[in-house]
Amino acid sequence: MGVILLSALTLALAVFALTQRRLLWGVIGVGAHSLALAGVYLFLAAPDVALTQAAVGFGLVTFIYLLALRRTGKLIVVAEEMPPLLYQDGQRVAGLEWEILSQFGRHVHQDVQVLWVPRKEIPRLLRAGEANVGAGGYLPRSEEAVLLTRPLLSTRMVTVRCTPGPLGAVEGDRGEDYLPPDGLTYEDHGELASALGAGEVGGAVADLLHVRQWVLSGEIQPVQTTEEQETSFRFAVAPGEEDISRALDAFLAQLEETGELARLVRRHVG
Amino acid sequence: MRVLAALSLLGLMALLALGVSGVFPRPPVPPTEDVAAEWGAENVVAAIVLGVRLWDTLFEILIYAMTMVGVKLGLRLLRWEHAVPPVRETPLLRRSADLLLGPIVVFALYIAVSGHLGPGGGFPAGAILGTALLLLALAKGVERLSAEIHEPSLEWVEYGAIVAILAVAGGLLVMGHRGSGYLIAVNVLIALEVGIGAWVVLHRFASSRGEV
Amino acid sequence: MEGLAAVALAIALAGLGFWNLVVRRNLIWKLLGLNVAASGAILFLVALAHRPGARPPIVGLGPGPSADPLPHALVLTAIVIDFATLALALVYVIFLTEHRHTQDVERLERDEERGWPQP
Repeated sequence: MGVILLSALTLALAVFALTQRRLLWGVIGVGAHSLALAGVYLFLAAPDVALTQAAVGFGLVTFIYLLALRRTGKLIVVAEEMPPLLYQDGQRVAGLEWEILSQFGRHVHQDVQVLWVPRKEIPRLLRAGEANVGAGGYLPRSEEAVLLTRPLLSTRMVTVRCTPGPLGAVEGDRGEDYLPPDGLTYEDHGELASALGAGEVGGAVADLLHVRQWVLSGEIQPVQTTEEQETSFRFAVAPGEEDISRALDAFLAQLEETGELARLVRRHVG
Repeated sequence: MRVLAALSLLGLMALLALGVSGVFPRPPVPPTEDVAAEWGAENVVAAIVLGVRLWDTLFEILIYAMTMVGVKLGLRLLRWEHAVPPVRETPLLRRSADLLLGPIVVFALYIAVSGHLGPGGGFPAGAILGTALLLLALAKGVERLSAEIHEPSLEWVEYGAIVAILAVAGGLLVMGHRGSGYLIAVNVLIALEVGIGAWVVLHRFASSRGEV
Repeated sequence: MEGLAAVALAIALAGLGFWNLVVRRNLIWKLLGLNVAASGAILFLVALAHRPGARPPIVGLGPGPSADPLPHALVLTAIVIDFATLALALVYVIFLTEHRHTQDVERLERDEERGWPQP
């Protein structure tokens, strides 16, 4: 009698494990099924086999699958930290782009993992295949050979001047295109802001969102602001991942249609 | 295509069931107590694995060691520049590793040493040892643990264990020494080998895909 | 009686595992199906070793028929070798993922038809 119950449980667990969509649940289900199978072996008067099956099938096999899966089945996003679009809030990630990306991850049944890198590394990592998506206020530049999605949020490049002196920009960012030959480049927007505040550079070329944040937080007092060009934030996708790019495009279009995108923009950016 | 695959699979399973329909009732088992007594064991399966079918067990050990070497060679070349951030160290993990590690290792050694008297033997004991090392690695960080237990010398311990198994088994086959002492020694050596092999494989997987 | 139930379960598991091996597109799903099918095969062997009213094959556990110990010995090494084979198969899958950035069998076949273009 016990055998029949335990066999039914084993079969149910196997069916559950092998009909999942996400690999993680499949691996956990197969591990639980191995444990129930060890119980069946006990009923069949095979204690050695039961012990070995439990130790190997439940312990080692599940672990090795999980270790092999650590980077697959995930959407790896490389980004530069940019509040309010994508930033680290204590233990979690937050921001407009994070909401969109995590919803997209649920939509395609994948986990989203964010790695924080400087702006100039993003196209290199995408091309090398170490990441799938680039984000964090990504402004497309002509020579970067990555795939782009549809525009997320429109903005414009501005040049702000506080004191006479050279201009600064972030290395790898679109602002670099507008730098005169004597301009200085910095690793990220935070360094650029502190350099502006300290007076190392007289002005900066960046996008409107960053400049507005600097002014609002009182880091800089611009004397003159010139608007350069209208552009928009997009997501960058690694070349070769056309499926992800198409799916993200379709997802963004759907968000725009239902008005969800406008609502998210209003909530995060204001 | 899927319908075809489903139909052929059902046909295959029906064929299997048909082929099995004649095997019940099974013939009685010949008496095995004298075989066990001859090899100095009470667990007949241990007497078979380490005595009657020793040749198969030796090759199984060699294949396992080959797996370890294969994983070492295969995953050596892959290095990520930006590793996926490791599992967050929680006090729960550290505390449970503190509490559980001792009983797990003692249990594994008990299973290995008493493999000829009750269920167990070298193989499950080695698997449990590998799992215990992995639990310690989750609590401590994979690279730190591998530095603290001197992994290169541990690999040499595994190779030494294999050589010792071959020597002991060879002595048994050639010179005919039998007894429970031999069974205990081979069980412990197998547990060492399987455990270290499992740990090395898991470590290579973890360090080539980003920290665990 | 228990042997019959276990044999039925073994055939069902083998069928389920092979179905997964054939139908799924992801390589790791295929490996999972192979694992379950191997569990079915092992269960089949252990079920054949079972006798009605059997006790485990350990001397001193009392009178009565004991289970056949020979398939147990064969199955013991089979389980550990299964894990070893799985580790090497996963090494191959990891290699494939690094170089082709996909685990999808249909995409790999498409790439092969086009002569392995650089992604």
